[in-house]
Amino acid sequence: MTEVLQRIQIPEGVRDLLPDLAGQKRKLEELIQQIFSRWGYREVSTPAFEYSDNFMTDLKDGLENSVYRFPDEQGRMLVLRPDFTLPIARVVAVHFAEGPLPVRLCYSGEIFRYAAGLQGKQRELTQAGVELMGDGTAGSDAEVIALAAEVLQKTGLDEFTLCLGHVGFLEILLTAYDLLPQDVEKVKQLFNKKDFVTLKEMVSKLKISRQAKESIMQIPLLRGGVEILDKAQALLPPGADAQPLEILREIWSVLEDYMVTQFVTIDLSMVRMMNYYTGMVFEGYTNGLGYPLCGGGRYDRLLANFGCELPAVGFAVSLDHLLTVLTRQRKLPELLEPLFVAYNDSGREKAVAAAQILRRQGAVVIVDLQESTYEEAFKSGTEKGATRLLYCAGEDIIDADLDGGQE
Amino acid sequence: MLAANDWLTIALAKGRILPPTLELFTAAGINCSPIESDTRKLIFRLETEKLQFILAKPTDIPTYVEYGVADLGVVGKDILWEQEKELYELLDLKLGACRLSAAHKAGQTDFTRGGTVTYVATKYPNIAKRHYLKKGRQVEIIKLHGSIELAPLLNLADVIVDLVSTGKTLRENNLVEAEVIARITARLVANPGSYQVKAKRVMTLVQQLEKALQKRCGDDKNL
Repeated sequence: MTEVLQRIQIPEGVRDLLPDLAGQKRKLEELIQQIFSRWGYREVSTPAFEYSDNFMTDLKDGLENSVYRFPDEQGRMLVLRPDFTLPIARVVAVHFAEGPLPVRLCYSGEIFRYAAGLQGKQRELTQAGVELMGDGTAGSDAEVIALAAEVLQKTGLDEFTLCLGHVGFLEILLTAYDLLPQDVEKVKQLFNKKDFVTLKEMVSKLKISRQAKESIMQIPLLRGGVEILDKAQALLPPGADAQPLEILREIWSVLEDYMVTQFVTIDLSMVRMMNYYTGMVFEGYTNGLGYPLCGGGRYDRLLANFGCELPAVGFAVSLDHLLTVLTRQRKLPELLEPLFVAYNDSGREKAVAAAQILRRQGAVVIVDLQESTYEEAFKSGTEKGATRLLYCAGEDIIDADLDGGQE
Repeated sequence: MLAANDWLTIALAKGRILPPTLELFTAAGINCSPIESDTRKLIFRLETEKLQFILAKPTDIPTYVEYGVADLGVVGKDILWEQEKELYELLDLKLGACRLSAAHKAGQTDFTRGGTVTYVATKYPNIAKRHYLKKGRQVEIIKLHGSIELAPLLNLADVIVDLVSTGKTLRENNLVEAEVIARITARLVANPGSYQVKAKRVMTLVQQLEKALQKRCGDDKNL
């Protein structure tokens, strides 16, 4: 008995998906891939495990303690894919660097991480995403954000916010106010965790001007529409580089054309966990979910790791988080309900032929496995959750509605 | 049940900290009178303000906020620190000020029973473990749920880690405060999703509370 009990357990952080949830997840995945493909993104697939060297950038950036690592038969270290951006960057560097550029690629698949805070408690997560490589303009930043907005909208979520920031703004502001590099790092970490209490304590102790302190403490308030950018500009000391704000202004203007600015909040205190981001960053949030549903940004220096210097931008959405939220909001996609086809001792040929026609037409059809009486078929069809019964008695077909009476 | 999207739900801790919390919210311009008048109820709705308050056990507040059934919560730093949940810490409300300290019997000199391991009794096993780990001390943590002062008196533990406000309880039990591990106050915390999706309401509330705090203690002078 205890042996059986051990055999039916599964590890922490992974889960089975049963009908209909698994089907609903697949449907969401298809919906998202269809949107990606309509925007010109072509699907690629990469291995579930690769050499750990390929993920060095990830490993250095805080994933170090959260990747699954194991040796291959020669003792070389492999990791289970913790992220898609690096494998796609490798694919682009190897296969697409010669052009034509830019390259638009999309993917969908599992990533594996020992549970880290920003992803809930799951260790296996399905992600779908896009990478747009070879273009460094605000136009590609905006395209990716608009695409994320369309995905979240089409999945039926009832409320969501994409918060948009730029990693350069904080960096430039803090450096311009003479913070030491290690203090810049600490302040950024506190902004990342949105621990404004510790931030205030730390900033009040820094040896910088009162004006600098006040400016830093204003940053959490820099949230809102495009008008926030003017306020942000006013916080920068004279001579500081305002390019991040200019880029955000350009992105906003393209997002206006896409008519998605109502979903976007500029948040200049946003810092993404991964250090490989170099420009615009964004995250999608919805009610009641304590971590982002989707996120992405620009990472112009990452491809250099694979010997190919191309600007790039991308985002990924977590299907599992989406599924959790849609379940809670009762907005999961509906699946087709089945038809049940049964037959008597001389009706099987007719029944199978009818089922095949209906299946070709796109219906979901369950054919009974042995002959039955009409009453048995009615009962069995109802148990299977079918909406309609086709009962073949010889050459005759009885068509019955299983929710209501016989037609 | 999740409140509608245009409502803001705030989880408050029952007990000692509740009256000063309500006082602060009132000073910030939020009408809390329905809560003060009847504290057996657990959910209070302020229809005009579209605010919902839930009253919960202090240690459960981070959980309510983490799962998003409350957008915001008011909870002691000790509990946040012990549970290490991914919540945003928006404001120090300066309420319920006390300290988390290590204490032992007066006159005690040996803390390892002649060996290398110190027995530490506490309600805060994670904080205690991290604290002693950082100091390189080998400890065995004994988790208790209350009357921690009993543990050294009965030789269950060599040291206790517990909240101290006036120090009276320690003195009455012939214990001395050996080390202040952290200063504790109540904090306003947010669920990251709510912080983003309900940005305007959250920011307005934070600013209202901040103003009330400034009026109370001239807070920003130290910046």
